[in-house]
Amino acid sequence: MLEENFLMGEQLLDPADYDFPALKKAFNMDREEVIQEIKDSGLKGRGGAGFPTGLKWELGYKEKSDEKYMICNADEGEPGTFKDRYLMENRPLLVIEGIITAAYAVNAQKGFIYIRGEYFDSIKIIDKLIDNMYKEDVLGQDILGSDFSFDLRLVKGAGAYVCGDETSLLNSIEGKRGASRIKPPYPIQKGLFEQPTVVNNVETLSSAARIIAEGASLYSAMGSKNSRGTKLVCLSGDINEPGVYEVEFGAQTIKEIIEQDGKGIKGGSDLRFVVPGGVSTAVLDKSEIDIPYTYEDLEKAGSSLGSGAIIAVGQEHDLVDLMLNVSRFFMDETCGTCFPCREGNRQINRILRKYKATFSIQEKEIIQDVGETIRLAARCGLGQSSLNFINSIMEKYEDELGIKEVLEV
Amino acid sequence: MAQNTAEDMGYNEEILLEKLHNIQESYSYIPENEIDNLAQKFDMPRAKLYGVIKFYSMFYTEPTGKYVIRVCDSLSCHINNSKKLLNDIREYLDIDDGETTEDKKFTLEVVECLGYCGEGPVMMVNDEVYTHLTPGMALKILKNCV
Ligand SMILES: Cc1cc2nc3c(=O)[nH]c(=O)nc-3n(C[C@H](O)[C@H](O)[C@H](O)COP(=O)(O)O)c2cc1C
Ligand code: SF4
Ligand code: FES
Repeated sequence: MLEENFLMGEQLLDPADYDFPALKKAFNMDREEVIQEIKDSGLKGRGGAGFPTGLKWELGYKEKSDEKYMICNADEGEPGTFKDRYLMENRPLLVIEGIITAAYAVNAQKGFIYIRGEYFDSIKIIDKLIDNMYKEDVLGQDILGSDFSFDLRLVKGAGAYVCGDETSLLNSIEGKRGASRIKPPYPIQKGLFEQPTVVNNVETLSSAARIIAEGASLYSAMGSKNSRGTKLVCLSGDINEPGVYEVEFGAQTIKEIIEQDGKGIKGGSDLRFVVPGGVSTAVLDKSEIDIPYTYEDLEKAGSSLGSGAIIAVGQEHDLVDLMLNVSRFFMDETCGTCFPCREGNRQINRILRKYKATFSIQEKEIIQDVGETIRLAARCGLGQSSLNFINSIMEKYEDELGIKEVLEV
Repeated sequence: MAQNTAEDMGYNEEILLEKLHNIQESYSYIPENEIDNLAQKFDMPRAKLYGVIKFYSMFYTEPTGKYVIRVCDSLSCHINNSKKLLNDIREYLDIDDGETTEDKKFTLEVVECLGYCGEGPVMMVNDEVYTHLTPGMALKILKNCV
């Protein structure tokens, strides 16, 4: 547990009560200096992919164009994740300050915040805040007396997980189906309406605002070598005290986060496994969670930190039922552009539904084969990660699943 | 002089998604004549526009019930027994996922994660969120929908 939170804290809702320390500082710095500060902090993207934020801003800044866009990705949809909602409901000023700071750094004149359509409360709060910030001259022309002008507009998603993928999100804002785009060109080069576009997650941008306000060295002093600073984790599942917690990277193991922050497993039951980063990530058996919570340690353990969703799963659940649940998620949410992702996830769901008392090794192999095909053919991260959960369960709980060799007939 | 609205600043992109939300909000679905209007306004073939509308689960081309009930069955809620909740709601409303009751009062949607995973199981009734639900609580909420 952190002694003092960096990102979480009291509600910050009213621009009249807020000093905008990051903006005031940033406007007195050159763009390169702001970018250097973020680079020095070691901040990585919190949307799932972990791309270094300073580098992303630098690439955005270097793009030559009369028009650039800054987009805040608030489409949070990975099952188990609710930290961006926490920030929008409790710290929305930080979110928008982060957007403006980033826009200043990359020199974008226009921006969007794309909030998933089901987040009615977040939408209400951000909508009102944007209005108020125009009134207080913190959005629009010559923000806070600087010569930087920036416009921010809210767009509501309409119920499609895949729109969280940045290229799908761009298509969605452009009024197309929210299917992903072929990369390259990357959004940084050719994004929204063909213009250079920087997309960052809500938590990334809020952290960036705090980093500029407090200085990079404070942030980079926290965490491990490859995972600087703090992270919001979302605890859910069979946990006594679920919720959003801010942790310092590497200061606690996953086990400790579950025990110290989440107060252990519900109903005195035993933990079986942990989903460490949302349903797109491979599970870790309870024997594998004594590792520091960092990007690198999770990767070494064969999984990933993903969106920061930690789902604890007790012994009493039926593994096939859980695999079916995750399989249905990907079957429902595939955008359908890549045939293997669309059909493969459906076929895997069929095999899982057929499962009765035993699984044959052949069926396991088919799932693995189809999964590998999906991964190789997938245009976006949804397909690439759609089998992580299922494969890891089949790998780790082969005996419980009763996966047996079935004699050829 | 400082300009204070996005419109003043020449924010001229017409966002189709925004228009669709507005229409959906006024009619509870996207009626055909509005689709015709949009097709003209955005210079899009109607088929393509339908393709966009159908892509998003929150847009409907048929009227929904007065109350849209969204019940999350993604992993965290599932672990917290959303299945039982769902079955009881299904039984009470006597409709399946995606259907509307005959009296046009309720539409039931089994949905993926609503972002309240720490407080599951979760149900939304239009834009109202209910957390930590037991089947009994959920049925009471539905009975209070008039
Ligand atoms: C299927 C899919 C869903 C995604 N959903 C989200 C999301 O809800 N929020 C988010 O910030 N990033 C999401 N991402 C990652 C984005 O594509 C992108 O990497 C991110 O917004 C970049 O911001 P960051 O660098 O600050 O992390 C998703 C990616 C994929 C493939
Ligand atoms: S991998 Fe799946 S979700 Fe991603 S673009 Fe292809 S079909 Fe769509
Ligand atoms: S899993 Fe149900 S709200 Fe997230």
